Amino acid sequence: MYTKRNLLNALMMGVFSLAAVIAVVPLFAVLGYVLKNGLTSLNLAFFTELPGMMGVGGGMANAIIGTLIVVALASVMGIPIGILAAIYLSEYDRRSWFSTLVRFTSDVLTGIPSIIVGIVVYAAIVVRTKHFSAFSGGVALAVIMIPSVIRATEEMLRLVPHTIREAGDALGIPKWRTILSIVLPTAAKGILTGALLAVARISGETAPLLFTALGNLYYAHSLNEPIATLPLNIYFYAISPYDQWHKQAWAGALVLVFIVIVLNVVARLAFRTRMGKN
Amino acid sequence: MIGRKGKVLTAIVTGILAVSITGCGTAAPNSAQASGQKANSGPVSLTEAGSTFVQPLLTRQVAKYQEENPNVKISVQGGGSGFGIAQLQKQLLDFGASDAFMSDADLAKAQGGTILELPIALGSVTISYNVPGLPQHIKISPDTLADIYLGKISNWNDPKLAKDNPGVKFPNLAIVPVHRAEGSGTTSIFTHYLASVSPEWASKVGKGISVNWPNPTGKVIGEKGNPGVAGAVKNTTGAIGYIELAYALENNIPYAYMHNKAGKWVLPSLEGAAADAAAFTIPEDMRVNIVNAPGDAAYPISGFSWALVYQKQTDKAKGEALVNFLKWDFTKGQSLAPSLQYVPLPDNLTKREIDMLKTITYNGQPLLK
Repeated sequence: MYTKRNLLNALMMGVFSLAAVIAVVPLFAVLGYVLKNGLTSLNLAFFTELPGMMGVGGGMANAIIGTLIVVALASVMGIPIGILAAIYLSEYDRRSWFSTLVRFTSDVLTGIPSIIVGIVVYAAIVVRTKHFSAFSGGVALAVIMIPSVIRATEEMLRLVPHTIREAGDALGIPKWRTILSIVLPTAAKGILTGALLAVARISGETAPLLFTALGNLYYAHSLNEPIATLPLNIYFYAISPYDQWHKQAWAGALVLVFIVIVLNVVARLAFRTRMGKN
Repeated sequence: MIGRKGKVLTAIVTGILAVSITGCGTAAPNSAQASGQKANSGPVSLTEAGSTFVQPLLTRQVAKYQEENPNVKISVQGGGSGFGIAQLQKQLLDFGASDAFMSDADLAKAQGGTILELPIALGSVTISYNVPGLPQHIKISPDTLADIYLGKISNWNDPKLAKDNPGVKFPNLAIVPVHRAEGSGTTSIFTHYLASVSPEWASKVGKGISVNWPNPTGKVIGEKGNPGVAGAVKNTTGAIGYIELAYALENNIPYAYMHNKAGKWVLPSLEGAAADAAAFTIPEDMRVNIVNAPGDAAYPISGFSWALVYQKQTDKAKGEALVNFLKWDFTKGQSLAPSLQYVPLPDNLTKREIDMLKTITYNGQPLLK
């Protein structure tokens, strides 16, 4: 009987371990493949030069900067709106029809294909302002990140024990002060991690930028101009027949993955000490 | 629990909030208008999108033009002729490019008034294929080509192919016809050709920048842009596709002889496309299809690519930069064409085009000096 239990235990442990291994295999396969192909294609010109003529060398300097600009723009719009909305949902209005509607809409928005967001922003901003722009690309990405920021933030705020809020009330502190000085700092680690994950997610979005950021062979000089981004360049270079462009697509993929990994690592490092203290 | 670190984090959060509030307010300054009022010595950025047929040539032309005029940056974006036409109609581009001229209905939808269509390149569409063991150029008759895209010929070992290519051993391999997924001027040239040689194609499928591709074999695939079709043909065994000659040459993709109207087998070439254009009278509005031209040298699947430009420009600096670039493109810029096997535009045509450029105005004043 005892050995049978042990056997079953060992068997199930084996199944779980296998599942865990299978889960990380794609990650390492992707990283390994991108590293292998990307490293051999990376050179200084890739970081310093503009794309050349079709199918010829050059670099993606403008697309690297463009991706940083568009993602920063989206973050600056999306993160605060998401966090503020989540504070409203968690601290001010947990149960009304309105907050239910907001939660429902935000959940639905999470599941909408990102190309649709791109087309809506195209119709709402690009067509009206009469130009493709970095700004419209930023808006499209912000719309995509807002629901995930709301979700992550609200869940973190809900984890903050109610007794802490009551302690604030007991001290006669106004509610906004309790939220700002007690609730938010308590949940800050989770909120910022959620926000950074949302940033990492939109960094690789391609579809919403097709009809908004469009692309640019040069540096964009204002947010009102079309702008080059890494995901769009990778897409167009990868489907082309040019070997030189395939190499550049791999290099671009490596740089993009690197940006996302740096974001993730920074998120973890920045808040690890705090986690240790707790 | 809420120590110094907590305050720092709060500060970060509120900092992001503060930046965003000011950021939202200033994120969309109207710098486009501001730059429009500057003197024409300042830098000007122009955005083009559309034809991928002309993209290999156009990217080289703008790179060369920029060497001579560092202040004018012209971003060539491709996207397909259909994309270029649609975006220009909505006035989202400084100019478009298409290898299918705009129909009267298309022109009527243009929100910025009259659009001029100026031939910018003359080139050929190759029938490219990827079949191991075949020579660099096989012969494909018009009927066979139509039947392949109609799905009636589905294997490379079909006797019809063997008949035109004595001595060539065709493998038993399914044919994968590749077409353009989006609205495409190259598709327009290709389907105009098929419709002119195959009554069945003309009645069943028709012609235009996008058509309903027959797919009885289930093997047909659609790809984005000339680069996408060229990439798919290059990487798919058994594939056949129609791409601009420069893509086939630059990527060493085999392409076929076509049987022209005069009964000769011809390869796509500069001379072939030139013979096509010479066989037609180009009308005043420049809108002409030149497929299946008569003449021994004519390569039957050729066409123009047109720059699409609003006659009334809304930004002086951009308008000036645009007409000056186009004038350069029609004249000096054509010297880059032969290296990619595009035909330099004939002088009598470019003279007419420059006359058309002179009718482009800003505030009623012609922009070309």
